[in-house]
Amino acid sequence: MPIEAVADALVEVRDLTTMLSGKAVFDGLSLDIPRGKVTAIMGPSGTGKTTLLKHITGQMRPDRGTLRVDGQNVPTLGREALYALRERIGYLFQNSALLTDYDVFENVAFPLRQHARLPEVLLRNIVLTKLQAVGLRGAARLMPSELSGGMARRVALARAIVFDPMLILYDEPFVGLDPIALNQVLKLIRTLNRTLGITSILVAHEFAAVRQVADLVHLIANGRLVASGTPQQLARGESDWTRQFFGGEADGPVPFQYPAGDYAAALGFTGAAA
Amino acid sequence: MSADMKSRPPRGGMLVDGLAQVGDCGLFLLNMLGAIPRSLRYLREISRQIWFVGAMSLVIIMISGLFVGMVLALQLYYTLSIFGGTAALGTVVALSLYRELGPVITALLFAGRAGTAMTAEIGLMRATDQLAAMEMMAVDPIAFVATPRFLAGVIAMPLLANVFSMLGLLGAHLVGVTWLGVDNGTFWSNMTSNVDVWKDIANGTWKALAFGVVVSLIAVFQGYTAPPTSEGVAYATTRTVVFASIVVLALDFVMTAFLM
Amino acid sequence: MNPRRSFAAGTGLFILLGFAALAYLATQTSSVANFSSGPTYDVVAQFDNVGSLKDRAPVKVAGVRVGSVKSIQLDSQSMEAKVTLAIDTRYNDIPDDSFAKIMTSGLLGDQFVALSPGGSPSVLKNGSRIINTQSAMQLEDLIGKFLVGGSSPAKSSSTGAAGGKSGG
Ligand SMILES: Nc1ncnc2c1ncn2[C@@H]1O[C@H](COP(=O)(O)OP(=O)(O)OP(=O)(O)O)[C@@H](O)[C@H]1O
Ligand SMILES: [Mg+2]
Repeated sequence: MPIEAVADALVEVRDLTTMLSGKAVFDGLSLDIPRGKVTAIMGPSGTGKTTLLKHITGQMRPDRGTLRVDGQNVPTLGREALYALRERIGYLFQNSALLTDYDVFENVAFPLRQHARLPEVLLRNIVLTKLQAVGLRGAARLMPSELSGGMARRVALARAIVFDPMLILYDEPFVGLDPIALNQVLKLIRTLNRTLGITSILVAHEFAAVRQVADLVHLIANGRLVASGTPQQLARGESDWTRQFFGGEADGPVPFQYPAGDYAAALGFTGAAA
Repeated sequence: MSADMKSRPPRGGMLVDGLAQVGDCGLFLLNMLGAIPRSLRYLREISRQIWFVGAMSLVIIMISGLFVGMVLALQLYYTLSIFGGTAALGTVVALSLYRELGPVITALLFAGRAGTAMTAEIGLMRATDQLAAMEMMAVDPIAFVATPRFLAGVIAMPLLANVFSMLGLLGAHLVGVTWLGVDNGTFWSNMTSNVDVWKDIANGTWKALAFGVVVSLIAVFQGYTAPPTSEGVAYATTRTVVFASIVVLALDFVMTAFLM
Repeated sequence: MNPRRSFAAGTGLFILLGFAALAYLATQTSSVANFSSGPTYDVVAQFDNVGSLKDRAPVKVAGVRVGSVKSIQLDSQSMEAKVTLAIDTRYNDIPDDSFAKIMTSGLLGDQFVALSPGGSPSVLKNGSRIINTQSAMQLEDLIGKFLVGGSSPAKSSSTGAAGGKSGG
């Protein structure tokens, strides 16, 4: 589908092509992430949403295509420039990725200690504020191994926002959260975006949650952008893609099966077709 | 950076894979050496690692040193008494410890005690995305994780080897002088007139330093390139012990033949 | 902050211990321990044969260390070994007719210079010369003597009984 260029895009992906283990994860993907908005990226499991976030942050390089973040073409950046860019990006990992050597407080304080020389009192205040925002100020001295999955997720979120970055990437922030925490996290994402103007990219499967915060939804499948629009537009289901994806139908343009050989052949019924 | 360091798929014969590993390991060493200036910002991390790999290895090193010294004194006393040379017990024990047993046994114990811990820890950090998280927080995992551990190992090894030798001497003294009745004055004076600071003690310390470099390099490299699965980390840990032991023993021969 | 401090302190302690061990081994168990710290005076003694005597080998009186061998040179006139001994100045009362012997500590041990005090009222001073010396006992000579039955082959100075080897 053709993309109408957004006037003020913070992230600009053009013609992105990436092969992983012999499979084209992206096949000429192009999309824009508007500045100061919450953009959700949705798509079936295994379409490369996490991979796209890794491309945006330079953890992986594409085989072809450009990927501009705030004007800089990420795949061509050297280490120094890349690290300078990353200091302005918060990233919430799909599996939290807390540093197991440090307690909750030190995990959240980690980026500050690395990149800012702050007086201890100020640092403490910032960290506790962020922990309070995710409801875990009381858990400051727990070790990551003592946290539940949902708690670890929220600590990772606090860590991702501790620097008040220009861009935050959330990889599945709602997984493992109870309804109360989920509402808190939704509110947090909205607040960060509305009050600080932080651009947010949200990868999630929960459409009900997504439609509460996202200004724009990109639906990717088969290595391309297949639909995009406001949550309301997509929910109306005007194309096969959206109908299948949001209707949860197994059959449609998106194959439920990971690419595989003939099923009958794999089960040993060779020649049955002939 | 780290993406290039990921475990490689097997490419062919064992020989080719082995050579490729050695090459990767060499590149990795260069990477770490290049990161040393940046690592110096993380002095606290280096000191913490010295604590883990050095201080925490003290007990096993001291106990082993004591027993090795004791058994050495027993065996050498027996051998020397055949030639009526028990006066040389102190000398022979000291030279064996300083030149050979101190560095080598310490390195083997170090590989088992500290090397495996380094490999497993770094491997798990990779598997749980902690290294990627550091990259995302603009912290270079080579400078923050790999190099401090490597440096800590390099610093700790010679110190541990000297502690080992000292305890070995104590053990030998206990057995030789207190138990077997070698004259105390003879034990020491014979030693002091035959042990040379440069030829024996300094060279032994160089050996220990070299072993510290190879054991720490192998341990950190194996952890850093371990496939991010429990099986991958387990194999990497085994490889650390096997490779480190072989390389230490081979290097020991080379260094003894050409340097001492 | 506290756990960090203790790490740093423990690490410091460990490094200190390691270097202490190194310092102990280097200064107390090696030939460095034989360097006399105080002032010394030089005494010269000439020997037919110094055997495997080495620089810095101890000089002993009655088994007590009083100094060390400073240098071993060949005296080109007499074709003898000229050994300079550095004696601690606090041992300033060694008679000048003392007897210098090169002895071995144990059968396989190292060689050292043993001084047997004489009875002269005058003492050794800086630059003094020890007249009475006895060369190193060579294992081959000993064996040869034992086999041939007492006829010492090439030794000019009187060789003591083999019992002289018990020193050390
Ligand atoms: N390191 C890798 N090596 C090889 N293939 C990979 C690698 N990482 C991901 N892939 C492949 O890339 C594809 C996309 O993976 P990715 O993790 O981006 O999916 P996703 O959209 O985030 O899925 P999910 O919603 O389940 O998290 C998958 O088919 C996966 O097999
Ligand atoms: Mg994913």
